[in-house]
Amino acid sequence: MIHFQEVSKHYETYTALRKVSFSVEKGEMVYITGPSGSGKTTLLKLIYLAEKPDEGNITVNEWETDKLKESQISMFRRHIGVVFQDFRLLDNKNIFENVALALRIRGVDEREMKSRVFESLKIANLRHKADCYPQTLSGGEQQRVAIARAIVSEPMIVLADEPTGNVDPETSEGIMKTFKDINARGSTILIATHNRELFRHSGRRVFKLDLGNFVGEEIG
Amino acid sequence: MTLSYSFRIALQSILHEKWINLLSILTVAAGLLFTAITVLSIYNIDAATKSLPEKFSVMLYLDDNISQREKDNIMGTVRNDAAVEKVKFIPKDEALKELKTSLKDAGHILDGLGENPLPDSVEIKFRSERIDPEIVKKLTVRLGGLKGVHEIEYGEKFLSSLYSIMRGVKTVGALFIMLMSAGMLFVCYSTVKILFYRKEKEIETYKLLGATRGFIRSPFIIEGAVIGLSGGFLGLFGIMTLYYLVVLRLSLAFPIFKSIIFPVDTLYSLPLAGLFLGVTGAAIAIGRIRY
Repeated sequence: MIHFQEVSKHYETYTALRKVSFSVEKGEMVYITGPSGSGKTTLLKLIYLAEKPDEGNITVNEWETDKLKESQISMFRRHIGVVFQDFRLLDNKNIFENVALALRIRGVDEREMKSRVFESLKIANLRHKADCYPQTLSGGEQQRVAIARAIVSEPMIVLADEPTGNVDPETSEGIMKTFKDINARGSTILIATHNRELFRHSGRRVFKLDLGNFVGEEIG
Repeated sequence: MTLSYSFRIALQSILHEKWINLLSILTVAAGLLFTAITVLSIYNIDAATKSLPEKFSVMLYLDDNISQREKDNIMGTVRNDAAVEKVKFIPKDEALKELKTSLKDAGHILDGLGENPLPDSVEIKFRSERIDPEIVKKLTVRLGGLKGVHEIEYGEKFLSSLYSIMRGVKTVGALFIMLMSAGMLFVCYSTVKILFYRKEKEIETYKLLGATRGFIRSPFIIEGAVIGLSGGFLGLFGIMTLYYLVVLRLSLAFPIFKSIIFPVDTLYSLPLAGLFLGVTGAAIAIGRIRY
């Protein structure tokens, strides 16, 4: 499903990823861990094409990402749900509209959209906050809205960048249960986190990064 | 559904950024109002000069005692010219009769004349589309060279001054309209560009969620269209107010204002011009932005 082959990404003053190679199979749930600055976010950005690699090849669901044309990138991204580290919620839209945006972009009709948004908000335990605006929610609630938006389109791949970074342990558990449920429905999931508690005893593969190097893999 | 959503987003943005949008609408309206005043002026001057063909004619005064053959030659030459619409031969007796009629009560002053001093003459009327100082001059030069033609008379200076004034007015008008259009286009362009940059973060999120360029662009195009169209309707309201309140009122005191025509085409062409400028300005603005 996702293949990295000798992928490197350099920025002006540092190297974010150095010759990273790995494969994630369809339906897997994989954790990427490492300290701050280890390249976790860059790795996810390379998958959803917010960044382009300087070296190496990335294949996502048989698409060679470097060969995608500008016009194909938007279609490609529709197969991926992303929980951004900074949530990227739109302040001028209420929670319903923030989640619905992912479906509006895909041209889903109004009726189906409503039922899917409410279902998604229910999973994120935010059904009662549908009319609220992001700035009135706590950090944890905003994070759950971001998750609801990422899963509402039932994407093939879900990428989550520190999805429990702003929440208490109880909420964190709820969020991880949500990811497991989505994974059980067939989505491939990559979660970048520095919180080892998330994957301890998970039985899932964990990729370890340090200073942009892929330093190993273990079972959580 | 996507289009109706784009409309909703555009209208929300117009209301959210109401001051900058209102300023742009007023600027476009003012620009279109001045453009409409210019077009209306040119239209009315043009309409006034179009009535000229009915009044304009060239008079050929013939020599005394010319032969019938020479007369026929002159008449034939005139008739064969493509610019000529009507030719009328006026015998000297008829000319004297006309003169007496035109003098009315003062007609008796001609009683003392022994012999009719007026010559035979030919009145030439031109096709309206061929009344041009150059065409008229060319024909008069040719006719002047014919045997039997004594003198040619027409308002040469009047005709050429009128046409050069018309040409000048049209050129200046066209330049003014082009300048105003460029200004209005720039206003729409800048407004949409500012709105785009203000929403840069939002647009980045749209992109990352998989939005197409069309999905991102369409609200801005709609916004440009609304700015242009609103400006067009406001400009139309302005010119109609100006016409009905000012021109019609003035015409009560000064009859010359009665002849000012308000073309019906303005009713739709002004909003359409606004719409075109708004959409074009917006399209240029977002077309030049890399995203």
